[in-house]
Amino acid sequence: MGNLAIPVLLINSKTLYQSGSLRLNDILSEQTGLMITDNFGKGIQMQGLSSEYTLVLLDGEPLIGRTGGVLDLSRITIRNIRKVEIIKGPSSSLYGSEAMGGVINIITDGAGQHKTDASIRFGRFGSIDGAINYARKYKKTDIQLASNYNRSEGYSLKPFAVQKTVEPFWKAAHQLNINHLISERWKAGAGLRFNNTHIDNSISVQNLGSTITSKGFEKNQEYNITPFIQYQVDKKIKSVLRGYITGFHARQQLDVKDAYGSYNDKFNQLFARVEQQTDIHPTEQSTLTLGAGLIKEQVSSNRYDSLSTLRNNQIAYLFAQHEYAVNEQLTIIGGVRFDANKAYASVLSPKFSFQYKLNRCLNFNASYGRGFKAPDFRQLYLNFTNLAAGAYSVFGTEVATAEINRMSAAMMLEQTTDMFSKLSVLKPETSGGLNLGVQYIHPQKIQFNLNLFRNDLSNMIVTDVIAFKKNGGQIYSYFNLKRALTQGAEINLSKQFINVLNIQAGYQYLYTADKDVVDAIKDGKVFQRNQSNNLVSRMGLNEYGGLPYRSRHSGNIKFYYQHVKGFFATSRLMYRGRWGTMDLDGNGLINRADEFAKGHLQLNCSAGIQIKQQIKLMAGVDNVLNYKDLINLPGNPGRVGYIDLQFNF
Amino acid sequence: MNRSIIFAFALLSSLFFIACEKEENASGPNSTLTSNLVKDLVADTIVGLANGQPVGVGKYTFYSLENNAIVPSSDSNSTKWDIAFRGTSILTNAGTSGPGAGGAFVYTGAYDELKTVSPDSVFRKDSAPSSFAIPSGSNKGWYVYDPVNNLITPIPGRVLVIKTAKGNYAKIEIINYYKGGTTPAPSSSDDIKLKTQRFYTFRFAHQANGTASFQ
Repeated sequence: MGNLAIPVLLINSKTLYQSGSLRLNDILSEQTGLMITDNFGKGIQMQGLSSEYTLVLLDGEPLIGRTGGVLDLSRITIRNIRKVEIIKGPSSSLYGSEAMGGVINIITDGAGQHKTDASIRFGRFGSIDGAINYARKYKKTDIQLASNYNRSEGYSLKPFAVQKTVEPFWKAAHQLNINHLISERWKAGAGLRFNNTHIDNSISVQNLGSTITSKGFEKNQEYNITPFIQYQVDKKIKSVLRGYITGFHARQQLDVKDAYGSYNDKFNQLFARVEQQTDIHPTEQSTLTLGAGLIKEQVSSNRYDSLSTLRNNQIAYLFAQHEYAVNEQLTIIGGVRFDANKAYASVLSPKFSFQYKLNRCLNFNASYGRGFKAPDFRQLYLNFTNLAAGAYSVFGTEVATAEINRMSAAMMLEQTTDMFSKLSVLKPETSGGLNLGVQYIHPQKIQFNLNLFRNDLSNMIVTDVIAFKKNGGQIYSYFNLKRALTQGAEINLSKQFINVLNIQAGYQYLYTADKDVVDAIKDGKVFQRNQSNNLVSRMGLNEYGGLPYRSRHSGNIKFYYQHVKGFFATSRLMYRGRWGTMDLDGNGLINRADEFAKGHLQLNCSAGIQIKQQIKLMAGVDNVLNYKDLINLPGNPGRVGYIDLQFNF
Repeated sequence: MNRSIIFAFALLSSLFFIACEKEENASGPNSTLTSNLVKDLVADTIVGLANGQPVGVGKYTFYSLENNAIVPSSDSNSTKWDIAFRGTSILTNAGTSGPGAGGAFVYTGAYDELKTVSPDSVFRKDSAPSSFAIPSGSNKGWYVYDPVNNLITPIPGRVLVIKTAKGNYAKIEIINYYKGGTTPAPSSSDDIKLKTQRFYTFRFAHQANGTASFQ
């Protein structure tokens, strides 16, 4: 990535190991300014932007298979991860769609290693995690093989419930990478990865005293194929041609124990890409990156039409970035990317950044970039009717008009709303993001950095009612309507004490708002209802709690102790301030105290020892304080202990 | 089985013990303006499931704002009632709903700040089945429906401005849709949410002298 003037957070393999993290969400939840959300899996919230606006890359290639916009981070094992790179702020100028809030790049064990290790972990709730990594380096070829298996019996936060809070699951991942040096100038390689998730389902719904239970499973299968060929023209020019094919197949099957029959939901996604990137160093002071690519995306689902109807999108894109060191102090980077899409409007995403080194200790950076997120297939093609909850329907914009006309002809409609006439081709959601930072590195191993950020989002896609059915059910479709902003400050401080103790502390202040709501509040058109006396009053701006699921305050303090003889201990305390969860007083906004989830502390501890060269033993306890919140944190089971054994052959 | 007996009993008792309280009169004993609080007005409470959907018996509860009392449904084709409730649907006595000179519109603002009905106000009339003076639907009229938690909540700052069957003015603020004037917790069972809904708590002011003033 190598983009100096943009805040990048690196998490190395030592921290990954010592933190006792198994899945990607585990380690991200301990970083300043990153929140893990628990809706459709473990999502990430960065600079106040939700999961759908963060691009997740595995060795530089985007992962697909989102549900409700959320890419479930618990799908990803970090047992074979060398480092995690996190870029905050819009990065669409290089990465295109979804890189609005930022980019998370997971880098698996690199080439050139020579190791064999096996590890096994036992934890609470019958959880087992086993991993094998094998890497060999021959004269011209290197090869890596990694396997991971993870299972848990799940848990129930509600005693005696039929349905567990987290159902039993198993996950398996296998990865093979081969790189070969053909000649001094030519290098080629390929990667292959399979990832499987299986979750038991037993769902129980209460309906007027009668309990309807259904049993079944949820299954995700994912594969990634990554061939590449690299040509080093000379010392100044390097060119890479990369191919990428990935598929995601999700299936949920439930057998309902009564007349409703069985429920079978299938979703298949294919993403194929060819990308050519050339890096040129015309002078010592400058680097030019040029690239172009073609993407083909395909989705089929019985949520849309039938599985046999394939929905396609094709994207052709060009990008260029120029990094130029004006002098010893000042570096300027300018970049731009153009995405031409078949299914929706084209987008131009520029980005400018600069870094100014005042002296050896102090440097400043600033960047402004545009980001975008393409409308997803659900927003274009969904054709969904929920018979269980109010018989409402949701139609994607590309199918809505035809569906409404069909239902109207069949006399199924009561009326259409004025929003129906406003249905139009969806545009990508866009953002503009500004980051201003200062970094101070003292020779005595003190580091301090402050980053101020602001993201302005527009054309955000929301649902609205386009028609009412005769039976009273509502029909929804999608519109580019919402404008929002997120802004705040992030501070990180770290100090190393005599090579054995590292202390880190971080804090993020975050303000978020729907801009139309702010306007309405300023116009005096927004009211709230007092919880105790039911009296209605006009709402003030200071009572507006912003976008849901955002914490105004969050922070952490982390201790890492490393003894020379291989003993280590860590203690990481994370704080997440209260966050809005739902509207209770009917104004659709977060404002009343009871509309927030309580703030809480999470303390994770671990300790380990290296026995000779071969054996590493670790034990840890996550959530030492045993904090639980059944409603707002279903993914947090309370205190969890584990022991972990790693053997290096 | 026990549950349904308790439920039926709760339903019956609520029908008999609807409390209609009189609040203070706004401006002295001779004023023609009356202010009232109505608690737990039953609006076709749910009796069972049909095709998986909760249903009531389908009957409106008719109410006279002039007399602050329930009107028997046998008088539904008269000018004795001003407003009628069935689930989240609200009728006014005009248009397709009744022979009265009524009408209504939904005003955005604070109840107490609505001191007079503006002369340029347009009172809508019911035109079943597609259009009602007080629109039904989430976020379209007086309430929002939360599909995640299955709860109906009146929107704060919405006042129903009513023309009674006789043509007098009234204003209504719906305070709650659940029994006892308390919305169940979002985490409570669907059972509780279904059994306690369709009980209106609302306050209204009625001006008997034909003027548009609520002072």
